[in-house]
Amino acid sequence: MIHVSYGCAIAIFCIGLYTLITKRNLFKTVIGLSIMEGGVLLFMVASGFIPEAGPPLLPMVGGSVNPLPHTFPLTAIVIGASDVALALAYIIKIHRHYGTVDVDKIRGLRG
Amino acid sequence: MRAQVFHRWIGAALCLSLGWWMWRGLIVSADPSLFGPAAYYVANTASDTGASNIVAAILFDYRGFDTFGEATVIYTTVCGVAMLFAKRRLRRSSWGLSPIVKRGMGMMVPFILVYASSIVIMGHITPGGGFQGGAVFATVTVLFCVIYGSKFEASRISPKVKEVIESSGALLFAAVGLWGLAEGAGFLANLDAGFSSGPIGSLFSGGAIPLLNIAVGMKVGAGLSTLFYSMIKILEDPAEGPPPEV
Repeated sequence: MIHVSYGCAIAIFCIGLYTLITKRNLFKTVIGLSIMEGGVLLFMVASGFIPEAGPPLLPMVGGSVNPLPHTFPLTAIVIGASDVALALAYIIKIHRHYGTVDVDKIRGLRG
Repeated sequence: MRAQVFHRWIGAALCLSLGWWMWRGLIVSADPSLFGPAAYYVANTASDTGASNIVAAILFDYRGFDTFGEATVIYTTVCGVAMLFAKRRLRRSSWGLSPIVKRGMGMMVPFILVYASSIVIMGHITPGGGFQGGAVFATVTVLFCVIYGSKFEASRISPKVKEVIESSGALLFAAVGLWGLAEGAGFLANLDAGFSSGPIGSLFSGGAIPLLNIAVGMKVGAGLSTLFYSMIKILEDPAEGPPPEV
């Protein structure tokens, strides 16, 4: 059954990558980046799964799943939110400057 | 047009082959078990840190220095976004939604705040912690921006106050770290540095972990709400028409 989780993670990652490399709109590129990040985080959380084990909380009943892969996504989510925010801020600046968010039309130095 | 379609097909083929390659490369252990550092953390969290939530213990004790670095990333991002949009002043914000929504939001706010503080304060005994609770805190200010308009939000919780909260969160984190250094136990040491731990599972357990949770909660909550406010204040058009008739 764990294969379903891994398959989903890989599928989400590839959808994000497709968005990233085929879309010209910068906003859609950032959305693709954030979808890819979701795939990676799902993969990390799924990799800590152990069948018939409880959550890593201390009155423990019958073993616990691997707590280490739960720790990294926790910080990575916040980091992902911040870098998406910074990327969007730059895109807003680019839109104010060039009047477009199409990567093909952003050419040359202006102003 | 032809080139664009071609480009898309190439992209799709590349992604599909990459996905197939990753799927083929997947090695799933038939009988997974804990090994390495994870096994040590699960076995020794109670005696080493006194916290019940092993994830929080790893985040704020075993790998506290790493978390300190991650918190710095949020700080840098907030500085960057606030700097990019520093010049524009908010003259008038949106008018908000209808009075029904405003009233409903007013009733919900205390409950959301209690929920967020319980996630932060009990982060070492239940699933939760500073990052999650801080994000819920930021949700309140985002809802204020959407429902009442960002000017109302800025007048109630001024950006200066958020700045002070965020900086004091960072300072609290650094102070806890330096306290360990001063005690001679190393940066961000927990029980070795003299932080006492109560019985496992009680509110006052885990040594410095609740303190660090509160510090990170302040940082993340104030940081995310500053990010949202800095971005929405330039997106709202000051030249918008009069308030809609409600």
